[in-house]
Amino acid sequence: MTQPLPSYQEKSAAVKERFAELYQRPLELELNGLSKTFTKPDGSPVQALLDIDLKIHRRELIAVLGASGCGKSTLIRIIAGLETPTTGEALLQGESIDGPCSQRGMVFQSYTLFPWLTVLRNVMFGLEATGHSPVTAESEARQWIELVGLKKFENAYPDQLSGGMKQRVAIARALANEPRVLLMDEPFGALDAHTRADMQSYLLQIWRNVDVTILFVTHDLDEAIYLADRILVLSPNPGQVQEFIENPVPRPRSPEQFSSPEFLATKEHVENLIHPPEARSEPVNLPILKLTQQDDRVE
Amino acid sequence: MTIAPFLILGKRKKWLEIRKDLSPRAASLLTLASFLTPLALWCIISYTPFLWHPDVKLDIGSSGATVYTAGDQVGKDYYPQLRQEAREANDQLLSASQAGEPVTASSRANIKTLRALGPISVRNGLLHEGQLTSDADIFQLWRQAAEEPAVFRRIPLSEENQEIARQNWTILSDASETYDKATFPKEKLLGLIPQGKPANPVYLPAPHEVLLTGWEQWTRPAEDGKPTMGARLGQSIGIVFGGFLVAALIAVPLGVIAGSFDGISKLFEPFADFFRYMPAPAFATLLVAVLGAHHAPKVALVLIGTFPHLFLMICKTTRLLDRSLLEAAQTLGATRKRLLAKVVVPGILPQLYNDLRIALGWAWTWLVIAELIGVKSGLTEIIDTQGVRRNFDQVYPVIILIGLIGFSTDQLLAWLRPRFFPWVPNARKPSIFTRLLRRAS
Ligand SMILES: Nc1ncnc2c1ncn2[C@@H]1O[C@H](COP(=O)(O)OP(=O)(O)O)[C@@H](O)[C@H]1O
Ligand SMILES: [Mg+2]
Repeated sequence: MTQPLPSYQEKSAAVKERFAELYQRPLELELNGLSKTFTKPDGSPVQALLDIDLKIHRRELIAVLGASGCGKSTLIRIIAGLETPTTGEALLQGESIDGPCSQRGMVFQSYTLFPWLTVLRNVMFGLEATGHSPVTAESEARQWIELVGLKKFENAYPDQLSGGMKQRVAIARALANEPRVLLMDEPFGALDAHTRADMQSYLLQIWRNVDVTILFVTHDLDEAIYLADRILVLSPNPGQVQEFIENPVPRPRSPEQFSSPEFLATKEHVENLIHPPEARSEPVNLPILKLTQQDDRVE
Repeated sequence: MTIAPFLILGKRKKWLEIRKDLSPRAASLLTLASFLTPLALWCIISYTPFLWHPDVKLDIGSSGATVYTAGDQVGKDYYPQLRQEAREANDQLLSASQAGEPVTASSRANIKTLRALGPISVRNGLLHEGQLTSDADIFQLWRQAAEEPAVFRRIPLSEENQEIARQNWTILSDASETYDKATFPKEKLLGLIPQGKPANPVYLPAPHEVLLTGWEQWTRPAEDGKPTMGARLGQSIGIVFGGFLVAALIAVPLGVIAGSFDGISKLFEPFADFFRYMPAPAFATLLVAVLGAHHAPKVALVLIGTFPHLFLMICKTTRLLDRSLLEAAQTLGATRKRLLAKVVVPGILPQLYNDLRIALGWAWTWLVIAELIGVKSGLTEIIDTQGVRRNFDQVYPVIILIGLIGFSTDQLLAWLRPRFFPWVPNARKPSIFTRLLRRAS
């Protein structure tokens, strides 16, 4: 690399303008001094999250990054209402979150489609649970299935679908309830690289067309930078906000941007946050133990 | 030299590999073999006279010091002695008559000797069962045995018995060629020498005997208050399914609730866990005292035997449901009631179905004990009464029938499962029936 990278904080005028506009939008999600302590089976406490303060605006796409075990899932599960914070509070549109509800949809890494329901019935599940009549539920579900491109598979059972297709159904199922917030916990983590790239583009497309705020947990830096407006980096033990980064990569996004200077600069910065250079282990020069032939080199 | 069988084994190295599935063909072949092997063993032991056969089954009994009737079995070692005793008795008679002082006998004793030819004649098709006490008919058989012994075709008379027949016929025909009570000889007749064939012990009847007795049991008309086989089977099935259904009706809802709510689980499961170690038959007398001696206590015994295990199994099945499915449903707005009805129940249904299949198997195993308590009933009554009388050919068809019905119900349920639950992955194993059918076609 001949040219030095720009600072990740340097933004083009258009990007600056976008962030200014974004902060004008009403607050969607607010976390105030949120902490969570688990008790291990042996009784000892685990501080999973400590003092998290966040303000997220309407229709933002936030990526949550951090080393494994730093509390990403816990954070997103608290917002979903599946865990209760030990102290602090989470607010959705100013109202305190108390238990799970259809306002905050969730997509899990493990495919959580109901195996006994067809694709159509899976997508109808939330609609029926929130009181839609079977007829409306069905017609709405059909629209969502069409949006994720699975019209041909609406009568298939989840077991007959590929991983990518399952996650598309899961996204359609969550969005069918028209939630305010879509919470995604490493949704593409189990997919192969090719499918994952497709799903990322898919998600951006859907997000453009649907009025929803997205919180997206991932451990893939490229994915985070490619998708997000802002990137929340958590530090481990206990989970705390290390930095909330404004992504300088302009929208609309496309896969070519993976090698743009802003992208690489942001990636380098985040990399250093999550894996500080001093913590990286240097490759060791191992002695050669056994060579079958003289000069049997691989490099 | 034929090496074909070894080729089959050799080509399939897979047969010796750990946890490798065989080809469907080989699997069907072995399934077939698993049924045919025991059957073949049974046939070989039954129909090869020089294999085992420690007894002799008598076609002609003995009337000496120890009385055996035709059809009785004696040990192979004792048989020569039995014959020797009969011969010695005859020798005494002969030497007495040669010495000119023939021994006389009561007509009752002579009639008895006469009738000894009856059973073997029946088995040769020369006489009906009903004629066994018809002395006139048997009298004529003695003539046939003396003059044309070849009519005893299926089970020929031994040489020495043919000789005895000739000697006796001279005495019998002396006064009259036909039976006449008035002129029936007073001179003591020679006794037939016991004769018979190698046989297995009574507790191992041959396959065809079991089959024939089974057929005879089913075609036997109802007699003085004794139920027919069909009625008995109905009684037994009523007990098995009665107990099973009541157990399922309580265990399924309770198990699902306890598996879903920890409070209910802690309230019921520990006691069920304790209760299942008390063997159901231990409650037999109590049940009879409380519920009477007929149907009710038997159903209750099956219920007690299956319920605690089934309940605990369903609790576990419910807890094994992927928790994230519940969480997903909650984030979709499902209430508690909807979670139970639309997630927990459908989610565990395929496994619940299998649990119930297993429980039905347990119910069958309790059947015999259940039918023995109070007034004996159903299929077990046959097993018990006939077994005590050592009529094991009557016992086997019933035991096999119970096995067949239990097994085929289970296989039917296994075959139906993918039809009930089309979403369960196709990795399922084909049922034994499917495999055998595939083999046959
Ligand atoms: N239910 C729980 N009980 C006890 N400890 C938990 C529980 N859930 C999470 N933890 C702990 O909290 C920390 C954060 O977990 P998690 O949010 O799953 O991390 P991440 O998703 O970032 O990998 C970990 O140390 C984990 O062991
Ligand atoms: Mg996680």
